[in-house]
Amino acid sequence: MTRRVAVIGGAASPNGKLQTVADAPLQALEHEILAPLVIDAMATAGLPKEEIGALVFAMCRPYTLQKYFATFMANYLRLPLKGTIMEVLGNGMTGGMAFDEAVNAVALGHSDVALALGINMESQANSAEHMMTTMRAVGDVDFHSIFGFTPISWYAMDAVRYMHEFGATRAELASVAVKDRRHAALNPIAQFKKPLTLDEVLGARPIVEPLGLYEVPPRSDGAVCLVVCAEEVAKASARPYALVRGRGFFHEGAHQINEVPNDMTAFVSAQGAAATAYRSAGITAADLDLAELYAPCTIVQVLAGEALGLTPRGKGAAQAAAGETSLGGRIPICTSGGCLSRGHPAYSTGLLTIYELWEQLTHRAGERQVRNARLGAGSCELGNYNAALVHVLEAVA
Amino acid sequence: MTLPIVDVARTRPWPPRVSSFTKPFWDALAEGRFLTTRGRTSGRLTFPPKPFCPYDWGREIEWVELSGRGKLYSQTVIHAVPAAFAGEAPIRNGIVDLDEGLRVAARILGEPALDAAMECVVLRYTDGPLFAFRGR
Repeated sequence: MTRRVAVIGGAASPNGKLQTVADAPLQALEHEILAPLVIDAMATAGLPKEEIGALVFAMCRPYTLQKYFATFMANYLRLPLKGTIMEVLGNGMTGGMAFDEAVNAVALGHSDVALALGINMESQANSAEHMMTTMRAVGDVDFHSIFGFTPISWYAMDAVRYMHEFGATRAELASVAVKDRRHAALNPIAQFKKPLTLDEVLGARPIVEPLGLYEVPPRSDGAVCLVVCAEEVAKASARPYALVRGRGFFHEGAHQINEVPNDMTAFVSAQGAAATAYRSAGITAADLDLAELYAPCTIVQVLAGEALGLTPRGKGAAQAAAGETSLGGRIPICTSGGCLSRGHPAYSTGLLTIYELWEQLTHRAGERQVRNARLGAGSCELGNYNAALVHVLEAVA
Repeated sequence: MTLPIVDVARTRPWPPRVSSFTKPFWDALAEGRFLTTRGRTSGRLTFPPKPFCPYDWGREIEWVELSGRGKLYSQTVIHAVPAAFAGEAPIRNGIVDLDEGLRVAARILGEPALDAAMECVVLRYTDGPLFAFRGR
């Protein structure tokens, strides 16, 4: 049994610093932050808690002391479940997979209503120590980590190759960060809202050359809850909703780099996932009104945008600089402010992607509303976009 | 063919684990040879070396010596490094496409330009070897 699935509600915390230091006398507790968001999200959906049959969590970071957090939350919220409960993990794809599994639980008839939710706490972790773990997630421990490759170092090498092959300039790449900050200024849950200039981006201290501080992701805490349901439930609610129209996935069978030399900056997994998602939705990239991309660095937004067919190959940076991907432009990308300015609570970021699409497609996005937004695409990824998951959502009012 | 050896007067920041299978790779590297494996039935090279062929899953493999020569595909300089690498920061790492048709990630010495001809060198740390590439 499969049936059509809708996003009918959602709520998110502000992104930024929620986590407390280990010895603070008063601690910020994950369940106390997430539970009110569940209640808020269900209020936007207008559904009683008894309808919830499945909970799919983005796994928490190791810093969250409560283990088996999902079943702990089912108790905290007094939620008996006839569908499923799980925590998923897929590096940067984690939040997107949580959404995907919640959609599956409804599509397969295991539950009429499911929650996809997560809380990511990491802002108080020491970055150099944090990278001792993350470097082992983005490479072969014995053949890559030995050299000190960090997660974003792979994206930096994308940038170097992309500029070399296509003649894109540093300023064009940097313009993505300026654009994202403009979008974030209009987003109540964004981590950074202060305007950012191109000179500030270009003059920032280097992190992974050529990328500086404002072109790589901040450390973010954040929590988010989405309510998904069978379309008939959404219709009966008489509230606007976002229908899951298409879905595509691809993993290229490579970890960070393909051992067979290929076009690394083509993001072939994103190309494949997008093609499947568009085909299942019966659309082309040109039909989209907006896209919310998982893009921890400026270069990643450019390359993912090209792979999803939103900008021509080799022209993504130039088109960003020309305003084509800004609000009011031809195809607005990352209207939330994206990872760089909305914030990047990594394991929850994929959920925030769908949250932004839901806000836009139900016309709740306030000053950053894309006029007449009807079709939106969201992507998430892991590694160096070695795997990609793409969803197409449609506004139904 | 013996690779150039560069001495590094400290221990490796994050030494690789060595298994009974990968020991020949690291032992050969210490002697200046850069090895990998080839599947006997597929005839295809793979890197890192594996006790089977990832292409046809054949269990018969042979060790072969690589030229260590290739072209620089991309590189970066990492300023924000994991804690264990603090003593080596900033780190220049890159991706090299070997003449044999394999893509390898490693430390880069010097400041070569993209697409430059590269050669593999052995970094002889006090506790064991790592591989790196430099322009040739």
